[in-house]
Amino acid sequence: MITDDSNNENLADSESFENQSADTVEPELGQTRMEVAYGAGDGDDDAKAVVARKASMGVLYEQIYRPWNGELGPRWVRNYAIFRHHVYGLFKGTGHRHYNPFVRLSILVIFLTSLTPIAMIFLSVTISGGEGSDWLNRMWGVNRYNLWGQVLGYFPRNLCMWPLLTALVVGGMISDDRKNGTSAIYFSRPVTRFDYTAMKYLSSAVVLGFVIVFSYMLYYTSAIVFNGEGWAYLIDTLPIFLGGLIAGILLVITYTSIGMALSSVSQSRFFAAIGFLAIIFGTKLVALMIELIFETTVFYVLSPYDSLAHFGQWLVGIPANYEHSLALSIISILLYNAASIGLLVTRVRSLEVTRE
Amino acid sequence: MMDRQGRGLSETVWTRLDRKAGAITELTIRQLRNRLSTWVVLAVSFLLLVCLLALFIGGVRDGWEPIDNDNDSHDWDGDGYPAGQEYKYGSDANDPFSFPGSGDFVQEDYFEWGGVGQHSGNHTWRYVTGTFTYNWIENNPIGGDVFLDVSNLDDCPEGEIFDDFWLDWGSGCSLAENSILVHEASFTGNGTFRTQEGFGGVWGYMEDVFYVEPEPASNYIDEDDIDWTGDPNKINGFDDDGDCLRIGWPGDPEPQWWWGGGHDPDGNGNGIDCDVQWILDSDGNVVAIYPDKNVDEDPSEENLAYEDAHRAFIIGTGKIAFVMILGIFLPLFLALGLVRDETENGTLHYLLSKPIHRGEFITYRILGYLIVAGGFVLIMSLFMGLVTASLGPGDSIFRLKDVIVWLGIAFATILALAAYGAIFNTLGLLSARYGVYIALVIGVYEFVMAVLTLGGAELIPVLSVSHWTLQLIDSIVLIVWPNTIEMHLIATAFQLPSGITAFWNPPVHTLGTESPFVSGLLSVIVLMMITSLMILFGQRQFKRREIM
Amino acid sequence: MSTKATPAVVIDKCSKWYGQVIGLNEVSLAIDGGVTGILGPNGAGKSTLFKLLMGRLKPSSGNVRLFGVDPWESTAPYRRVGYVAETEKLYDWMTGHDFVSTLARLHGMTREEASDRASHVLEFVGLADVQNKEIGKYSKGMRQRVKIAHALVHDPDLIILDEPLHGCDPIARTSIMSVIRDLGTQGKTVLVSSHILDEIERITEQIVILHNGRLLALGNLHAIRDLLDKHPHRILIRTENPRKLAEYFVPEDPVYGVRFAEEGALEVLTNDLSAAHSVLPRVIVESGLKITSIENPDDNLEALLGYLVGGSS
Repeated sequence: MITDDSNNENLADSESFENQSADTVEPELGQTRMEVAYGAGDGDDDAKAVVARKASMGVLYEQIYRPWNGELGPRWVRNYAIFRHHVYGLFKGTGHRHYNPFVRLSILVIFLTSLTPIAMIFLSVTISGGEGSDWLNRMWGVNRYNLWGQVLGYFPRNLCMWPLLTALVVGGMISDDRKNGTSAIYFSRPVTRFDYTAMKYLSSAVVLGFVIVFSYMLYYTSAIVFNGEGWAYLIDTLPIFLGGLIAGILLVITYTSIGMALSSVSQSRFFAAIGFLAIIFGTKLVALMIELIFETTVFYVLSPYDSLAHFGQWLVGIPANYEHSLALSIISILLYNAASIGLLVTRVRSLEVTRE
Repeated sequence: MMDRQGRGLSETVWTRLDRKAGAITELTIRQLRNRLSTWVVLAVSFLLLVCLLALFIGGVRDGWEPIDNDNDSHDWDGDGYPAGQEYKYGSDANDPFSFPGSGDFVQEDYFEWGGVGQHSGNHTWRYVTGTFTYNWIENNPIGGDVFLDVSNLDDCPEGEIFDDFWLDWGSGCSLAENSILVHEASFTGNGTFRTQEGFGGVWGYMEDVFYVEPEPASNYIDEDDIDWTGDPNKINGFDDDGDCLRIGWPGDPEPQWWWGGGHDPDGNGNGIDCDVQWILDSDGNVVAIYPDKNVDEDPSEENLAYEDAHRAFIIGTGKIAFVMILGIFLPLFLALGLVRDETENGTLHYLLSKPIHRGEFITYRILGYLIVAGGFVLIMSLFMGLVTASLGPGDSIFRLKDVIVWLGIAFATILALAAYGAIFNTLGLLSARYGVYIALVIGVYEFVMAVLTLGGAELIPVLSVSHWTLQLIDSIVLIVWPNTIEMHLIATAFQLPSGITAFWNPPVHTLGTESPFVSGLLSVIVLMMITSLMILFGQRQFKRREIM
Repeated sequence: MSTKATPAVVIDKCSKWYGQVIGLNEVSLAIDGGVTGILGPNGAGKSTLFKLLMGRLKPSSGNVRLFGVDPWESTAPYRRVGYVAETEKLYDWMTGHDFVSTLARLHGMTREEASDRASHVLEFVGLADVQNKEIGKYSKGMRQRVKIAHALVHDPDLIILDEPLHGCDPIARTSIMSVIRDLGTQGKTVLVSSHILDEIERITEQIVILHNGRLLALGNLHAIRDLLDKHPHRILIRTENPRKLAEYFVPEDPVYGVRFAEEGALEVLTNDLSAAHSVLPRVIVESGLKITSIENPDDNLEALLGYLVGGSS
């Protein structure tokens, strides 16, 4: 029954696609409205109903959607497309996941700041000889402490740079989809929830890794190149470098896990971002306070940063700042990752395909 | 005059304004109450504070270990005598052969390194490796465990030492009757020593050996309390344990070197040996303390350290948990979207189609948020106050001043909440696109500035809300507990481990008056000015804003 | 302040640009009393007009006065204005009664007063039985009505409704229309916007037509129609033999031409639609032909606008 204007409009819509002389031409059964209207698809070259005309009577078309029989791209191609979508948005304004210009600017500034030691090493090489050069090399040259500090130092890297970077990059990864219902775009395609989550995770980790780990590698490489070091130096320092590399990768993984988990529980990217900062800063600060008052470092296991720093100190081979056992810190890192990924998985599994 | 609806004269503009304010404030509170994230944030904050309290209660129940502030109760070299006793007898606290009554070892000769040496006689043998065949050996040498315990040796295993078996440093084994094999060991005996190939060693005799009973370590803990007469003109500070005056010490006094090292009984240069110079200002407040070395350096915790730790807990929790964590993150979570979310959702149209000024609207929104966040902070601080006031040290059953300090902390935190709320809200209004990101950066900035302020920086963090809030707490603490500054000075002067020095600094912005009231007032004014300037700025922006 | 002295709404040569885009172009209007329909297709400037009236936007040039006061500068006239925005969002966690009474308190009412007024007004819009349910559980029609309720809670003299029928089912439509008609008969000034002529026709005869930010027509719908009669109208008659039928129409006076637009149909062109319709039955009977349908393709907003725009150029 048609009782209402808006329904009349709908009827007019369907009529407009109808051939006016419907009784003389074979009805296009089995063709979708799309094909008739736009002439898309095969075998419809003789269909005449392209221009809308007023109809004299109604025809109901049977709606049969022809399945697409083409071959799906392999899984990795589809996954790569998701990955690309999230990473390219950093460089391209359109067509990919939108990164706020402010976020892009922050990433650039943080990346450049993390490269300052390279400039310092370069400076020490150019003014080579003299006390200034020595001092620069001692402060910024490659040694165990500097390699550790390049990824795990507290000020400024883990106080101002990495947490903010993570909060800005990871905050909206899943919460935006939850808010706008855009996850449906993925789930209505041959993309599993695992692929969806894994690719989002990977793309965030790659962006973080680019800034954190890549700057670390660049630092080490440029130190060797600028100072013209030989093989012996490489053999001496490579284990330390690799230790720091593992610590850096672990840091990226842990921060991404926590950030993604927070992003998946919320519909607001800012809640996730602020929550992440609160966890990183809050736990560290509370543990510091407990250390100062109650003289125990064991509460640092609550702080993801300190657990990573502790493990990193062991990897790089510098004396630990913490009195508690390294095993506790490693367990803490594992627990943080496991809990975050567990949360992420359950949240994505229950993600509605509609706008929430 | 009655209008259409029959409202009386009592209905002035003001009462109507109050109603509007009430309605918007109430709406804001209900909105916050209906958001899950509010509850999550408050619950996490609550858990954090409860964890801190649990630690505090645990600390109180266990009591405090007496602290050896000058580290002289420990036997560093393992010779059985605490360091303090060794100082007294002039022996080396880090040399196991040197201890009270150990006498002096007089070396007669030595084995050459590298070959095989042999020597016979009645000697004290030191650091020798090889076999000793004896007809007498000292079973109970003075010096305890630095000597080989001859009476208690295992039989040596079959084979050659270092090829087939291994001996620890300073140990030995029994080869046969009256014959032992040792590795870098020391003993006294009469016989023939033959060194292992490649090892050296010395022999000689001991002189001035006598026995001194080792003192228990507890004699050197809390042994020199602070003696303060309250009158700077009297002689203050008494060297209870005598380690400054050193009268009647058996050992040679440490020489005083021309470059100022060694022991100087009058380090503060006031002409009185082994005293403490207290400098008071005209109001009778201690402003500086200059102790001579080793005077009043190990006070009893009853008087100082308990109180110090207790205050440090309150100040530390107040500054870190309340101001730096709650103060910065509650506004980020709760205040960012106060007006911004309404604009984004379009629900702002309902509110703005009512006869309410946009500027008032912002103020009442912030008021609503403050009631939620500030109420939480106030309740939590009272809760913390009740617990610490009941469990704190001292004779009184209930430390009322604790509660006052907690209220002060709540007051400072609420001022910070207001300032941050106004800043973040205005940022959200200023730019829907960038405002929130800038707020995040400001949050991190404020956090860093707070860390710098805790570290004692005075100038750079002036451009931050957290700096003034922390200084306000410093001021309130000093107002309620005026002797905090004294405790701070004492802890610094006598080098005592202190939480107060870690968390509390004397307020710096006193405009030269050194008065905590001035710095407190100044902080309050600065914080309120930031808040009202931000609100005014937000109102200006919002008034001129076209709302689509 | 008396309602009689100044009209509720006065817009004087008002223009509004959004950057390069023009939202409202030199519009002058004075409206007072009764229900007025603001008609226009999407993007015609209806919402811009309302937002100017409600002080949301500042006119780029010209003046807006609500009861003689500039709404951009002062919120005072909102005491007498109720505004139903086009936004769909509501506070879903509130009950309908809560929502209306909270907003009523923003008019300076006491809690009790607000609660009483809210109950009263919710009954008026027909939501009395669901007023204690959460708005999140309301249907679309209920949501529209709760929005109308909040605008009426302070008994305003001027009510502005931005697309109040948008997205409602026919039953909700009918009840909202009757609420609006009731308001009109109570002597209030009501502005209703819509892009569907038929809707407005069922509520009021007094209309304002906006198109591309310009004021196209103003006044009684029928009067406007009559004014438009000097423009050609079409009557589309479907029959098996259109050429034969045309013979009968051509001599008639109101008809000035015929056209065979499509197969099996005759288009009759006239300058006087009502006169043409009055001769239509007679002509058809005379012809003795079988008629499948008679249509007035021009009796909708688009056609009306087409004529108005065409006529002005």
